[in-house]
Amino acid sequence: MNARIGRDNIVTQSLGQIGNCGLFLLQILATIPRSLRHARETVRQLWFVGAMSLTIIMVCGLFVGMVLSLQLYHVLSIFGGTAATGTVVAISIYRELGPVVTALLFAGRAGTAITAEIGLMRATDQIAAMELMAVDPLAYVVAPRFLAGLIAMPLLCCVFCALGIFGGHLVGVSWLGIDNGTFWSNMTATVDVWQDIINGVIWKSLAFGAVVALIAVYQGYTAPPTSEGVAYATTRTVVASSIAILALDFVLTAFLM
Amino acid sequence: MSQRKSYAVGTGLFIVLGFAALAYLATQTSSVANRHQGASYTVDAQFENIGQLKERAPVKIAGVRVGQVESIALEPGKSVADVKLAIDKQYATIPADSVATIFTSGLLGDQYVGIEYGHAKQYVAAGGKLGLTRSSQPLEEMLGKFFGAGGSADAIGGSYEVTAHFSNVGSLSAGSPVKMAGVAIGRVLSVQAEPTKLDAVVTLAIDNRYNQIPDDSAAAVFTSGLIGSQYVAIQPGGSPDMLKNGDEMILTQSAMQLEDLIGKFLVNGSGDGAKKDAGSSTTPAGKH
Repeated sequence: MNARIGRDNIVTQSLGQIGNCGLFLLQILATIPRSLRHARETVRQLWFVGAMSLTIIMVCGLFVGMVLSLQLYHVLSIFGGTAATGTVVAISIYRELGPVVTALLFAGRAGTAITAEIGLMRATDQIAAMELMAVDPLAYVVAPRFLAGLIAMPLLCCVFCALGIFGGHLVGVSWLGIDNGTFWSNMTATVDVWQDIINGVIWKSLAFGAVVALIAVYQGYTAPPTSEGVAYATTRTVVASSIAILALDFVLTAFLM
Repeated sequence: MSQRKSYAVGTGLFIVLGFAALAYLATQTSSVANRHQGASYTVDAQFENIGQLKERAPVKIAGVRVGQVESIALEPGKSVADVKLAIDKQYATIPADSVATIFTSGLLGDQYVGIEYGHAKQYVAAGGKLGLTRSSQPLEEMLGKFFGAGGSADAIGGSYEVTAHFSNVGSLSAGSPVKMAGVAIGRVLSVQAEPTKLDAVVTLAIDNRYNQIPDDSAAAVFTSGLIGSQYVAIQPGGSPDMLKNGDEMILTQSAMQLEDLIGKFLVNGSGDGAKKDAGSSTTPAGKH
């Protein structure tokens, strides 16, 4: 009996979390017009979550492209189809790896920082101070970070994909000796702008950006104002974002493809 | 202030870099890079079989891309595919008696429309028609003449079982389709080694709808396509009695390996190989 109640509590708890998160999203959306008056703050956050994440995104994109090319070359050579390496690298990066890996890295690099920052702001009473001064923390602290995440994710994902293609080209053409023309022409013959780049890269990364940024600001904003609470909130950001990204990826793929 | 300026510039650079990457992905690595820019005119061509031809497949003359396939539709009331080709305006001097053929690039590549110039003095006009066409002749089909035709599986209602002995079943496994005239009519129930005869005994479940198969029909193990899976093909015989549940099919032809077949051509020359195939009564090569 007790176990049943416990399970119910977990279910109602997580449902409640999702519901609160949704309401929080509505609140953020409502304050976005006001927060645009603090556009400078949004730009600063964009610098912090976007531009500062470029290094890790670029390095990871390069290596993902390189390892993909290396693996595919060896598998495809069994069938004598190494000419398709470029195509498969491009398709798999655009449709899945680009958005998903970028979002996971983004959650780890930027999401945790957002959660910790907002959580510490609450723990050190900065948010309470803002409320005292009649500054809406949602408009001044939360909304700019959410917007910055939303804008930064697609841009980061494009950079990731471009570097991935570059890495794949580097290994496939320069190292393993696939013909340069074959690599590009097979890729351009198969990759479709709408299906692969707009649906794959842009929509997916926009959705992932919104989800990661929302989870990060929500966890930070609702973190218990203790050092332990902030630590848990940061962990929860990564766990919840990762699950949400992979689950959403399946749903989006089913709808968009 | 300078601190503020540095991140503003950095953010701007980041946004520009992001959009530059997007533009690069969209224009350099996608089909946009192949899309012809200039004006084009449309020419009709009708094919009996377009194989795997898709819209936006290239149209080539002497291997050079001159346009793309605009649309593919079934000609109303006829089993003929009506293919509209959008050809760049700069290639407006295609003789009216040119031949449009569907080719495959490479062994497993995509299909495209190739145009071979004719000798007519008039050129084909916009909205005109290329009267001479040659349909897709996929490698699979040519090999299929040796291996049997392809086809897709069918829903199975009740079925009856017959057995057949093969000296070699290749990679045939339980669940493989049983086909007649290329249409799936049943499934392979089991493949087992026969302990006394030292060959393979295959049990076939054939759909009850197909109960008019003569009992002297032959069963053969074929491969669909070049690297496809194997299936059992039934070639009808002429006996007045029909196959019943529990019967055994006496005439069988074992799996022929592609390696063997190619080896025959390479070693004996194509003439000998073909003659040998035609001589064996159960090979489909004898049909054509």
